[in-house]
Amino acid sequence: MRGRPAWMWILLVIAAVGAVPAVMTDPFFLRLFTEALMWIGLAITWDVMAGYTGYLNFGHGVFFGVGAYTAALLIIRAGMPFGLAAALGGLVAGVVALVSGWPTLRLRGAYFAIGTWALNRAVGQLALVLEITGGPDGMRLPPFLRPQFFAWVMLAVVGATFLALWLLLEQAPFGLKLKAIREDESGSLAIGLNPARLKLQAFVLSAVPAGIIGGVYAYWITFIDPSSTLGDLITDQAVVMAIFGGLGTLIGPVIGAIVFFAFKTYFWAYLSDYQVLYLIILGLAIAATVFFLPDGFWGAVTNRLEGRRALRKGLSLGEAAGT
Amino acid sequence: MLALLPQAIVDGVLLGGIYLTVAMGFSLAYGVLHVIDFAVGEWIMLGAFAGLAFTEWTHLDPLLSLPAIFVVFAAVGWMLQPLLQRVLSGSRGRPVLMALVFTFGLALAIRGSALTIFGIFTHSLNTALSQGSWHVSRGSFFLTVPFIRLAGLVYALAVIAVLNYLLKRTDFGLAVRAVAQHKEAAGLMGVDIRRTSAAVYGLYVGTSAMTGVFIGAIVSLNASMGPDLSLFAFFVVVLAGMGYLAGAPWAAFLLGLIQSFFLIYFNPSYVLLALFTILYLILLISPTGMFRRGV
Amino acid sequence: MKRQRWGVVVAVTLALCLGLIVGPAMAADEFKIGVITSLSGDLATGGSVTKRGYDLWAKAVNAAGGIEIKGKKYPVRLVYGDDQSQPAQAASAAERLAAQEKVDAVLGPYASGTTIAAAPVLEKYKVPMITGSAESPLIWKQKFRYTFGTIPPVNFTGSAVIKVLAALPQGPKTAVIYGTNDTFSKATAEAFQATAEQVGIKVLRFNILPPKQDMTPLMSAAKVLNPDLIAFGGHDEELVNLVKVLTQINFTPKALLMHYGVTEPAFAQALGKNANQVLGASVWTSSIQTKGSIGWPTAKAYYDSAVAEYPKDPPDYTQAASTAAGLVFQAALTQLGAAPPLDEASRTKLVEILEKLDVQTFYGRVKFATEGDYYHSNAGLTPLMVQILDGKEAVVAPPESAQAKLVYPLTPWDKR
Repeated sequence: MRGRPAWMWILLVIAAVGAVPAVMTDPFFLRLFTEALMWIGLAITWDVMAGYTGYLNFGHGVFFGVGAYTAALLIIRAGMPFGLAAALGGLVAGVVALVSGWPTLRLRGAYFAIGTWALNRAVGQLALVLEITGGPDGMRLPPFLRPQFFAWVMLAVVGATFLALWLLLEQAPFGLKLKAIREDESGSLAIGLNPARLKLQAFVLSAVPAGIIGGVYAYWITFIDPSSTLGDLITDQAVVMAIFGGLGTLIGPVIGAIVFFAFKTYFWAYLSDYQVLYLIILGLAIAATVFFLPDGFWGAVTNRLEGRRALRKGLSLGEAAGT
Repeated sequence: MLALLPQAIVDGVLLGGIYLTVAMGFSLAYGVLHVIDFAVGEWIMLGAFAGLAFTEWTHLDPLLSLPAIFVVFAAVGWMLQPLLQRVLSGSRGRPVLMALVFTFGLALAIRGSALTIFGIFTHSLNTALSQGSWHVSRGSFFLTVPFIRLAGLVYALAVIAVLNYLLKRTDFGLAVRAVAQHKEAAGLMGVDIRRTSAAVYGLYVGTSAMTGVFIGAIVSLNASMGPDLSLFAFFVVVLAGMGYLAGAPWAAFLLGLIQSFFLIYFNPSYVLLALFTILYLILLISPTGMFRRGV
Repeated sequence: MKRQRWGVVVAVTLALCLGLIVGPAMAADEFKIGVITSLSGDLATGGSVTKRGYDLWAKAVNAAGGIEIKGKKYPVRLVYGDDQSQPAQAASAAERLAAQEKVDAVLGPYASGTTIAAAPVLEKYKVPMITGSAESPLIWKQKFRYTFGTIPPVNFTGSAVIKVLAALPQGPKTAVIYGTNDTFSKATAEAFQATAEQVGIKVLRFNILPPKQDMTPLMSAAKVLNPDLIAFGGHDEELVNLVKVLTQINFTPKALLMHYGVTEPAFAQALGKNANQVLGASVWTSSIQTKGSIGWPTAKAYYDSAVAEYPKDPPDYTQAASTAAGLVFQAALTQLGAAPPLDEASRTKLVEILEKLDVQTFYGRVKFATEGDYYHSNAGLTPLMVQILDGKEAVVAPPESAQAKLVYPLTPWDKR
């Protein structure tokens, strides 16, 4: 796109989306709006590790949960204001990523996936047995039920995350370096990269926004417990959304999150008699996507566009893709 | 409390036996086909329900259904494998990740279908061995060994022995090991990769289904039991080193013993926390499994 | 062309505005009652029980024409919101039912976590909710003004059954008590423990376990201690597993006490003869002698209705409590005497009526506490002790409701 740089377009889109809560004030719609944004944030942060760096984090939800619990503890026990609590939630999640990442990132492939899953489960157990987190009873936050407020806050957090990731992964060399690690980690050493440091940076980068989102979630829903914030469900859905959309890009997971969430909500709101079929349809849809669209929806679209451009200009696909 | 030591060891080993039944087919499948099958728990669940159906129709002991269940499910696995292969050999995308997500979707679909067809309640399989136990007490030494749990352990070790024989002493096993080591080279040497892969996957699904019958008899069965079983299968196999079948029993027993000792000698509330933490730490010290023989 | 298009826009806008003005003022012909429960997810088992209870009530009240207000009968329409067993979805469902569907009242969730998430939203919109299920004492500690429950919390029922056991001649003197680490089961186990210590039963072991934990090593250790009583708080799968472990290691305590799940037919079906003589706590069975002044006249009448509609699912106390929740709304709405749709002032008045209500139903007495630990839950009910005899649940305490004699001690497993 000539003329304005990408980041201006992104800001424009965010601003346009920001106008929506001002106009559509129905509280239920605003809840859906906020939740959709939340999933976009979780999907793109997961993609940082999975799509760009090539490391499957099956415990990504742990950052969300840690952020939620941190914010809840700070709000309830320290009387901290919400904004600061959520920010600290992100910080603590980042610290968890830093501390656990350094040893965990030595694991490769399936080992890393299962290692992170074990970490997530371990933290879940911790929340379940500690008194301070309320154990299985969870924690209840003072209610602040303002749908517009949370819609804008979530938009601000996720929008800022998207912008930051865009700048770091698509504009700056950082993204290319991560992709080099994804393609050939040992080879990347040969070209002078430091994979250990880069991976850790990516890990922390994926954790901090997820933690902030968790903090916002806690204050928004007013109730958190181990199964809803540190269970597998958060990670599972983020993974599915990112894959639907297409890994290795930022737009892919955004589309995946929106489409998947819309489908899920429609099903839930209007077809609740068939809710039990949801699992079946979801499972088959996931399997079908992997089978027919391994690059995800966005991946398939960009592939077609590149193909068409190549045809028009008589280029090879490689030339058309610009690599 | 020292008097409980023998019992703690036996309970731990028997518990490990259960984990082994869950993990052994899965270890084989990964080692050869390099596919992490998220649906392993669902195959086990289906096998358990097949055992239940068998008992309800024939009024015979569920353990008698094992051969039939193996054959049926092995055939299912055989037919399903080419589909999986297509996903794994995709030219675009990341094969390992794609296979993982594919089997994840499959697992969801299977679980949803099971919930719809079988409902939500928990069932139990009753066998001739279900209630007996071998009990000895001499002075301050005492030990109780439930028959059905012992049967589970025996089954697991028998399957491992058979698999070991197959892999080390038969031509088929040679082909399997060749495919596991280097698929292209094996193909060049005349191995029919497609048939071998399908056979391995069939073996895996068949044994997993048989395991379901044991789990249903030792513990219980319901349509949602899959994910927890998959989790333990993963843990055992990762701990042992993925693809290193001989390591699986040790890893399974270790996990069983840790649990047993923790439950008896420490605070049971923390048992899973301890388990996950220990698993995590072992992985960190030895990233390719505790014997460093993983792929 | 342009002018025509503008014309259409203006017309549509006006129509919408009219709709907005006219909409709320229009009277409705029915009472819209929202239902938030777990129709999917981990807790769908329990959610479906509450759904059956709520549906039975709606069907019965509509069969009679509806709720009578000022001489006119208004049928009831249930509007469902699935909470998917997740707190976030419960809050979302509450928002949708209150803000979009504008329901007059809500029949509440199966689980405690989802109830705690939905309650603040309904407080905001001032929509009263009665849950026919959630039993954790945690809910009532929050003192939600607009939330009520027809089942007393688990520490109310759990303590009663321990007292019955303690009062038996040669009753248990020692106990081993475990509970699963979830809100309901943990509260149950803690209630068992607290009461046991109160009545002089020595608790040799007490612990809260991770969900679905294999209990063999724990029971092996218990066998050495040889407690008279084993008490356990958990869910159906764990209850079945515990009995199986005990039969496998061949240890029969004098009494085996559990809670919800014992009374499900699946429990007796799975365990066969080993389910017999297991004890449970309950607040209602189909055989108790109650007289309903509204709705079904007796417990048996309700039972017959329920199995006629759902032959494969005989009603348990949660289903009965859910139907009772509907009956309570019916009584309160009749007393309120306001036609639907209810505005905020009427709904607030409804809450005041609910607080003062004291009504007898087939389920038993419903009288909500208005202060203390049991705030807004049905502390007017009498807990029951049940025992599985011949594969079916039978009430064995208190004496006025008993239909069979309590069997104590347990017959050893290998002698059955």
